[in-house]
Amino acid sequence: MDALIGELSQASNGLIKPGGVRQGQGGVYVPVLENKLNEALEMLSGKGFELVNLFGVEGFEKKGFTLIYTLEKKGYADLIFITVSLAGSSADSVAAIFPSASWYERGISDGFGITFNNSFDSRRLFLHEAYPEGFHPLLKSFKNNAKLGSAASLPVSPKKGAAQEYAYKEIEGEGVYVIPVGPVHAGIIEPGHFRFSVIGETIYALEIRMFYKHRGVEKLAEGKPPSECVKIAESISGDETVANSVAFCSAVEDISSIKVPDRALYLRSLLLEMERIYSHLGDMAGMAIDVAFAAGASPFFVLREEVLRQNEALTGSRFMKGTVSIGGLTKETPDSALKSLGSFLEVFSKRFSAAVSGIHSSTSTIDRFDTTGVINKELLSPLHITGPAARASGSGVDTRVDHPYGIYSDLQPEVKTKQNGDVLSRFDTKAAEIDDSIRIIKELLRDMPKGSIQAAPVGKIKDGHAGIVMEAPRGQSFHWVMIRGGVVYRYAIRTPSFCNWQAIEHAVIGNIVPDFPLINKSLNLSYAGTDL
Amino acid sequence: MDAFKNLFRKKFTEDLDIKDADFDKLGIKLKKEIDAIFGRSLAIRELDSGSDNSTEIEMVNLTTPHYDIERFGVTFVASPRHADVIAITGAVTRNMELAVRKTYEATPGPKFVVAVGDDACGKGIFNGSYAVLGGADKVLPVDLYIPGNPPTPKEILKGLLALMQKIRKNRSGSERHSPHIVAV
Repeated sequence: MDALIGELSQASNGLIKPGGVRQGQGGVYVPVLENKLNEALEMLSGKGFELVNLFGVEGFEKKGFTLIYTLEKKGYADLIFITVSLAGSSADSVAAIFPSASWYERGISDGFGITFNNSFDSRRLFLHEAYPEGFHPLLKSFKNNAKLGSAASLPVSPKKGAAQEYAYKEIEGEGVYVIPVGPVHAGIIEPGHFRFSVIGETIYALEIRMFYKHRGVEKLAEGKPPSECVKIAESISGDETVANSVAFCSAVEDISSIKVPDRALYLRSLLLEMERIYSHLGDMAGMAIDVAFAAGASPFFVLREEVLRQNEALTGSRFMKGTVSIGGLTKETPDSALKSLGSFLEVFSKRFSAAVSGIHSSTSTIDRFDTTGVINKELLSPLHITGPAARASGSGVDTRVDHPYGIYSDLQPEVKTKQNGDVLSRFDTKAAEIDDSIRIIKELLRDMPKGSIQAAPVGKIKDGHAGIVMEAPRGQSFHWVMIRGGVVYRYAIRTPSFCNWQAIEHAVIGNIVPDFPLINKSLNLSYAGTDL
Repeated sequence: MDAFKNLFRKKFTEDLDIKDADFDKLGIKLKKEIDAIFGRSLAIRELDSGSDNSTEIEMVNLTTPHYDIERFGVTFVASPRHADVIAITGAVTRNMELAVRKTYEATPGPKFVVAVGDDACGKGIFNGSYAVLGGADKVLPVDLYIPGNPPTPKEILKGLLALMQKIRKNRSGSERHSPHIVAV
């Protein structure tokens, strides 16, 4: 912590005054003047800091808008929150320093009406043509209510206009044609739009458009007591139920200094790793299906179904919904379920390696996987790609190790990396992670403490704010919770898919169109988790 | 030479130790209904209008070896033009409203709409959000509701069976289309 502040003050040449820096939950808060923002971020970028999230808050410490730039650097467990109070409703874009800022800034424009100077992309992000221009849902002046009717009745700011059609980039040239795909896709899958520019069979460019599933998660949480928001966190993305609910509950626990009992910490980690396992199993099955190798996919589907049944035995829900609560868990996990999980895992490993060799020994499958959909290592940092997608391209990032939480400080996961960044590397990385998750679960079962699964009466939730980063199955998840007057005042969320989606525009270049489903499945990103 | 090896080596199948008698009984009942009413095949187009994806995962699970719904005559089709039934999930976000309407209009009659999951049934937690319309029946005429968060594969199968029974009843009875809530 002190080392971090020391590095900041040393390098900043007076931009950052040590006196203004304060320790908060999850990291260090550093206020920066509006006109010094670009300088400060250039400096931090040069020192190897990466943008984790950028979000807005209205009425943070005083009236008006505050932008919070969350940064991390390998080697520091704490995050840095650069806070900038805006005099008005405009700010400078920092996408030239951190390219991943582009989507965040577009989202803040939609949510608050803040405009960004010199941004290279100012199209609306999560408000599509169905919403009138000038509607900004995250403003405190707008309140959700059950009587909201058609879009025409939504309140708009005075500077409104007709909703403009979304302008896609246009690629022109001899032989270039466009294939628009979605939002409704051919399979049983979530909606999103992909606009390919193709020459022959080869993809020349891809532009994606997400947010068809925007349900207004962040706004929904505002004004509700934290206990009611756990269900909202679970609903962000069904197969990240545990990751998101644990993140939200941890933020509230940090704010109110609630100590979660050891048994609950162990069980939470066990459920987190179960979620990682079934998520990766689904991906691996999907990759085999997308090269028409149904027989090779079946063992993975069978194993996933069995893991979902284990989840049900442990928690009463196949997706482990309704299990995590503020202070611990909602109900005790039966010892019989833990015991049968142990025996299940003994048998699982052998069946799993047989399934993986089933894929590796199929030359036609390897031919499809190898060298397909490469994500270059150079893209990882500017776009903030995390999770197996990053580790398969040679990056050693893993939030469980970089910013340890729960039991991971004592039980360190082994970070599995591959170098090629292609579909095969992502397949192998996920297989290795499943093996490591099994190792972790076995150790958790062996050392499971006895005792309570819920902290002593939680009492009144204090006011305050906290930031949490966690390693969800797809990568790094960021949650920032602010409580005021006992209810949630602001809940800012960024799941790993929000960042990782942007990698797909680069991964498909030079590949053929039929390989797109495979590349997409090898990343297996959440549309719901991106769209919120 | 690989081709000859493929002919003679051990076959890539195994007997799964997962007989669920209940599920199989339901499935066979469903197959009989589909044979009688739908000419032996029921084509379902899945439509996600804003779910959290867990219902989609359960529907994919219906096609995996434990459940294998295709043996009962049910397939999930790629195009609404090939569909008999639209299975809609999610509470219909404003951003998806147009796509939902277009998918329904592209489906040739006779067609049926099944709302799968609490969000689509209008009981989800996103009701009241500025971003959702509040359920499938705000946009489409729903024939059947299958509640759940998410409904399990068995509950979805029970729901399809109830839909078949309702269609059979309406064919022989009045033309009135009243939604049938599945008691799960």
